Amino acid sequence: MNNFFLEVAQGLLALGLAPGLVGFVRWIKARLQNRRGAAPWQPYFELAKLFGKDVVVSNNASWLFHVAPFIVFGSAVAVAWLVPTVFGPLLFDGIGDLLAVVYLLLLGTFFLALAGLDPGTAFGGMGASREMTIAAIAEPTIALAIFGLALGAGSTNLGQIVAQTLSNPALAVSPGHLLAFASLFIVTLAETGRLPVDNPSTHLELTMIHEAMILEYSGRYLALIEWASGLKLLIFFSLLANLFIPWGMATELTPVALLVASLVFLLKLAVLGVVVAVLETHVSKLRLFRVPELLSASFVLALLSVISSFLLR
Amino acid sequence: MDQSLFSQLSTLGASLTLLYGFLLLWRHDLRSYVDAFQGQSVVLAVLFGIVGYFGNDPELFIVAAVFGVLKVFIMPRYLRQMQKRFAVEREQAPYLNVPASLILAGLSVILAYALMRPVVALSTLPTRGGLPLALGLIFVGLLVILTRKKAFTQVVGFLILENGITLLALLGTYGIPLIVELGVFLDALMGFLAMQIFIYHLHGTFESIDVDQLNQLRH
Repeated sequence: MNNFFLEVAQGLLALGLAPGLVGFVRWIKARLQNRRGAAPWQPYFELAKLFGKDVVVSNNASWLFHVAPFIVFGSAVAVAWLVPTVFGPLLFDGIGDLLAVVYLLLLGTFFLALAGLDPGTAFGGMGASREMTIAAIAEPTIALAIFGLALGAGSTNLGQIVAQTLSNPALAVSPGHLLAFASLFIVTLAETGRLPVDNPSTHLELTMIHEAMILEYSGRYLALIEWASGLKLLIFFSLLANLFIPWGMATELTPVALLVASLVFLLKLAVLGVVVAVLETHVSKLRLFRVPELLSASFVLALLSVISSFLLR
Repeated sequence: MDQSLFSQLSTLGASLTLLYGFLLLWRHDLRSYVDAFQGQSVVLAVLFGIVGYFGNDPELFIVAAVFGVLKVFIMPRYLRQMQKRFAVEREQAPYLNVPASLILAGLSVILAYALMRPVVALSTLPTRGGLPLALGLIFVGLLVILTRKKAFTQVVGFLILENGITLLALLGTYGIPLIVELGVFLDALMGFLAMQIFIYHLHGTFESIDVDQLNQLRH
């Protein structure tokens, strides 16, 4: 019973941290570009403001437009409960493994694209078609990359993969793991709308992807979608941090271990946030038609990771 | 422990060389090809040293040194000189586009695994994990030569292919005798120089290093 509450708390922690993580990456990026930048907790205020505002909906929008934000947010929250963040093998592991995680993420993307198409604006349609182009290559890559790990661990449960890597540290430097890490990192940039693929800090580019889809949203619907995309960033960061470098995660549920694990988790998120911010300052946006090249490279990396884990088993 | 560390390291090195091979298919910029080749050669030279250390074969250290001088310093230097001369040229429109060639390369690595399966199953060498990767690198080199248009890229593709063969020999037999190895190096260097002359002539005649231009010679 105790475990159950901890598990719930773990999901809520992810939910609460998500806007802060987005703000943190923005803040680091601003500092790197010699700007003062908004404080890392700015997104919380933005969310609070958006939740207090009315929703303006186009006359042409159907029920889909109203339902989509809840599905997007709901699927992200569901995934947040399935991904190990602070402590190891989860109770909820029985509910969903990596395939559930991948397809819940895809469900959110799918409905967001539908909602982009629904009001019939030019931008929404463009954003949706681009998002689908990217998702079509990115989703199988996530599945393959985690599958490469699963082969090494002998289980598709995320918690089990973490436990296996903890008990056998040599796994973490095997080629399969390194390849999978590289490939998942590229996909993280693509799926969370980060720089070489999409620019997260503008609503004014003709080539925008994520922002183009949600252009019609306002008020609390927009707040839900923004929160969900922050949560998605956090989910991908914790997949990267905990599946590949699981050290520091609590395996037994004592208060001290949990406290240490929470701090280590925050540290891992901060390191990944800095890496992404530095990368975003360093690279420029790829032309849209070069994005599939980047993603197919990451797909091939994931494929190789699966092959080599399969061979080394 | 020693053996498992050895096999981990050799597999890791083989994967790295293969990744550098993939860079050739992914990038468009001629300069990055030279960087990829140089990086791959560094890894391969280190791998020679590792196999020499764990396999107790001091001869391999000499091979590693010669290999390093030739492929990490001399060849990339000439390649860079060449690249500067054709600085405007990029691998803009290969015969096969980048995503397709990347996925084809991934499939060819799977094919290499399938082909090498019996060999790996029979072998008791600690380095056997890298054998399919070496064969995969050979396939990737072939793919570069087949699908890219610029003569420069094809030359780098050839050098990658040659590295693949060296890797296969290194992992499969812990290196061939020193004298044979030296002969192979000399051959590779001669081939490289001959191709360099060919590229300069191509550029002199057509003002481009696009091998498509050779079709004009039919008339």
